[in-house]
Amino acid sequence: MPATTDSSAAASFTNIGRSILSLRRDQVHSIEGMNMQHHDADTELESFQKRVTDRFLDLSSSSDELLTLSWVQKLLQSFLISQDEFRQILFRNKSQLHKPPMDRLIADYFERSVKALDVCNAIRDGIEQIRQWQKLIEIVLIALDNKKLIGEGHFRRAKKAMVDLAISMLDEKESGSALANRNRSFGRNNVRDNLHKSLGHFRSLSWSVSRSWSAARQLQAIGNNLNAPRSHEIMATNGLANLVFTMSFVLLFVMWALVAAIPCQDRGLQVHFSMSRQFSWAAPMLMLHERIMEESKKRDRRNASGLLREIYQIEKSTRLMNELLDSAQFPITEEKEGEVRQRVQELSMVFESIKGGLNPLEGQVREVFHKIVRSRTEGLDSLGKGNGPD
Amino acid sequence: MEPPENYVLEGSFESAEKIILRWDSTASEEAREKMIFEGDRCEVDRYLQAVDEIQRSISSTSISGDGQSKVNSAIQIAMARLEDEFRNILLAHIHAFDVDSLATDPSSSSCSRTESGGDHFDDDDEDRQQLGQEQEKDHLDSTTSSTTYDVLKHSESNTSVSSSYRSTSCIREIELIPEETIEDLKNIAQRMIAAGYLRECTQVYGSVRKSAIDSSFKRLGVEKLSIGDIQRLEWDALETKIRRWIRAAKVCVRILFASEKRLCEQIFDGIGTAIDDACFMETVKGPAIQLFNFAEAISISRRSPEKLFKILDLHDALVELMPDIEIVFDSKSSDSIRVQAAEILSRLAEAARGILSEFENAVLKEPSKVPVPGGTIHPLTRYVMNYISLISDYKQTLIELIMSKPSTGSRYSGDPSTPDMDFAELEGKTPLALHLIWVIVILQFNLDGKSKHYKDASLVHLFMMNNVHYIVQKVKSSPELREMIGDDYLRKMTGKFRQAATNYQRATWVKVLYCLRDEGLHISGGFSSGVSKSALRERFKSFNAMFEEVHRTQATWLIPDSQLREELRISISEKLIPAYRSFLGRFRSHIESGKHPENYIKYSVEDLETSVLDFFEGYPVSQHLRRRSQ
Repeated sequence: MPATTDSSAAASFTNIGRSILSLRRDQVHSIEGMNMQHHDADTELESFQKRVTDRFLDLSSSSDELLTLSWVQKLLQSFLISQDEFRQILFRNKSQLHKPPMDRLIADYFERSVKALDVCNAIRDGIEQIRQWQKLIEIVLIALDNKKLIGEGHFRRAKKAMVDLAISMLDEKESGSALANRNRSFGRNNVRDNLHKSLGHFRSLSWSVSRSWSAARQLQAIGNNLNAPRSHEIMATNGLANLVFTMSFVLLFVMWALVAAIPCQDRGLQVHFSMSRQFSWAAPMLMLHERIMEESKKRDRRNASGLLREIYQIEKSTRLMNELLDSAQFPITEEKEGEVRQRVQELSMVFESIKGGLNPLEGQVREVFHKIVRSRTEGLDSLGKGNGPD
Repeated sequence: MEPPENYVLEGSFESAEKIILRWDSTASEEAREKMIFEGDRCEVDRYLQAVDEIQRSISSTSISGDGQSKVNSAIQIAMARLEDEFRNILLAHIHAFDVDSLATDPSSSSCSRTESGGDHFDDDDEDRQQLGQEQEKDHLDSTTSSTTYDVLKHSESNTSVSSSYRSTSCIREIELIPEETIEDLKNIAQRMIAAGYLRECTQVYGSVRKSAIDSSFKRLGVEKLSIGDIQRLEWDALETKIRRWIRAAKVCVRILFASEKRLCEQIFDGIGTAIDDACFMETVKGPAIQLFNFAEAISISRRSPEKLFKILDLHDALVELMPDIEIVFDSKSSDSIRVQAAEILSRLAEAARGILSEFENAVLKEPSKVPVPGGTIHPLTRYVMNYISLISDYKQTLIELIMSKPSTGSRYSGDPSTPDMDFAELEGKTPLALHLIWVIVILQFNLDGKSKHYKDASLVHLFMMNNVHYIVQKVKSSPELREMIGDDYLRKMTGKFRQAATNYQRATWVKVLYCLRDEGLHISGGFSSGVSKSALRERFKSFNAMFEEVHRTQATWLIPDSQLREELRISISEKLIPAYRSFLGRFRSHIESGKHPENYIKYSVEDLETSVLDFFEGYPVSQHLRRRSQ
């Protein structure tokens, strides 16, 4: 499209903008900047984007840390800070909020954030489930306490707890067949026994959501229709459209990562993540996304109930422990005993790594919940004052 | 050569071990098929003694390494067995709690049958008061539902909620498991915990009791709804769920959870520090969170005016429950539950405030321009007045919740879109009262704007008169509302509608009565000092035409209040009739002496009197006018 006449100048501006999207962010930004009237708003939006980018760069810096409990805590912390900044910027630009298209964009964001609340609640359940595993591990550790002489009784006790743990960590759908296995391994065929066991023991955690709730669907709903704002929207909102888009993406990513890491009902990770690279945070976020997806596709993680590193460690340690316990013949050799103590040591480390982290994590998830609610309430209220009744 | 004690010990250990091994379910068919605690009591005692014996052997120093291994093995087998027995006993008593009778109407008076002693019956007076309050909320303007603003028709009485008050107004623990069974459970728990198997014990306990609570929840109608589910529901459906939730929550906190707590205390009492508490939380934390999630979802739902009263109901129910929540969840580990409940409470309060604000906004901005036919009461007026009447019913709660004055335009703001209001003259009123007055102010402001859409200036005033009068009547009909609005403001409004009546009269009747004036009819000077017949004829013609027009039009106007209607008609008559009578008296002879007097004198005084009765009836009269009777 030849940029010859004045009337097509605007069009060509847009074209130029789009064609250098792959280039430096500040070039793009300077085009937008020419149309912005509020230079202050400009800087604050720019620095918001920068800080978000920095946080995601930090989150993607260490591959060892990825998906550990402390990484998840860091992720939530960066959400909380971003949400705070987002809220402040909105507050400072209150007068802009009920002018179209900003009103619609903001309302959309609040709708998405409400969907995130259900994810927070589901994650809370998931954390509780990990706590149950923690309790079972504790039994194993007590049974095979390194101080005492390890006897057959101790082994059997540990074995019992390990089997319960293994079943509890399986996907709900598969627990039926595992049930049968469990009973076989103890030689029980009592039908009533089975029924009681399945009733009482293995459904010890029921999700607080109905059977039809799906984390995967919820994530898809959060990411639904999340498109980069067009240039006329950016201009009409003095750049605030980019702010909302950024925050929406942060929300989506954080919720997605939580679902990836922590067990929850119908944990699907296939969410459409197309971020236009014109945003500086897109690159680190996409990289994290890729790495997490890679992790999920690994052979030994494909059926994991959650990608949390500590869960993986539990799986590994318990598998090794199970093998050991299965293969042990009494009286055990000193060598075997040494192996046992080693496994116990490993398991103990996993236990420690979870023990301190679950409560703070739950607290953070609750805080995310509250922040989202508060921000939405404030936002809807101030929107309401500008509009008539719906 | 062994000392006698050891010999005795060995023997005791062996026989104890035999018993333990006999009941090893992994070893024998018989052991699998029978449960010790379901059978012979002697066997139970024997088994427990055997376990004790094995326990004693652990600490015995006289047993060698090999022996220790045997002891440990025996312990493990015994503990595994006890775990199964424990689970089995608990499972047998899952459904002991008859939930249904506690949640239904007391008129079926079945609630006392399920408890096994220790009924706390609450103060009957309290219930009567509650019931009375519910019925008051029932009172609604019956015409509301026929208007488009019928959102209030669901804020009717909560008599179904009051039915549960009698049975669930305070904490009442019931026996979930019979005493003898608790003894057994205690015996097992003691031994498991002494052997270091606390975690297995609490795990079993928690999972079985949790499923018991689960089934109670189902029967109480406590659902697993996500926030998304609740957002998608229609408000009607939600109201029903809220009502049900309030009923269920009272049962859950005061009976269900309290009873579970007592059960934990009974079974794990004196066994170790805070074990009963840990068990209780293991059992109840999940269900409690599930229960409160519903109230939380309601507290964050979008605000709209029709939600106010149910939200207040929910708020009040939670306020009432808080002391009990604090008693039942009094330990450190249950902090999160108490905190969540408190958060929900404060959000509900916020929501109530926000809704009131929304409501005020909605009243101010209500945009409909279609004039109400006949100048009668506008649906907005009905809606708003009914709404604030209901608000005054909830006065007790709202007075505490509403803490700030309404944000109004200042007296000198010059903002044409908001009325001014100076609260200085309303010293000593509660913020709630100020809000209610403010609502009435903005209602009138909005109505004023709407009135301008009438083409006929008289109708503008009639409309305002009708509506302001209605407001006054509604305020007077509710003692709480009247007390809050205050007689001063009431007087102001009365003055306003009286002024509107006066304005109406001026707008309509001045020009009609102008036809009956004296000036301009007399020809002075010259030879004949008399009356201009042509002018007179014109006068009569104009009067007839105007009156006919006014009569035809204003018969279709409506003043719904009969007293006001009467008053206005009388007021019109008082001016019209004497004027016409006097005019007729003085000038009829002049017309009658000319041609076709009937064209000019169309009305007798009685005709006029009768015609006035047609005014403001709200339906058209036939065009057949009464002729002069003479």
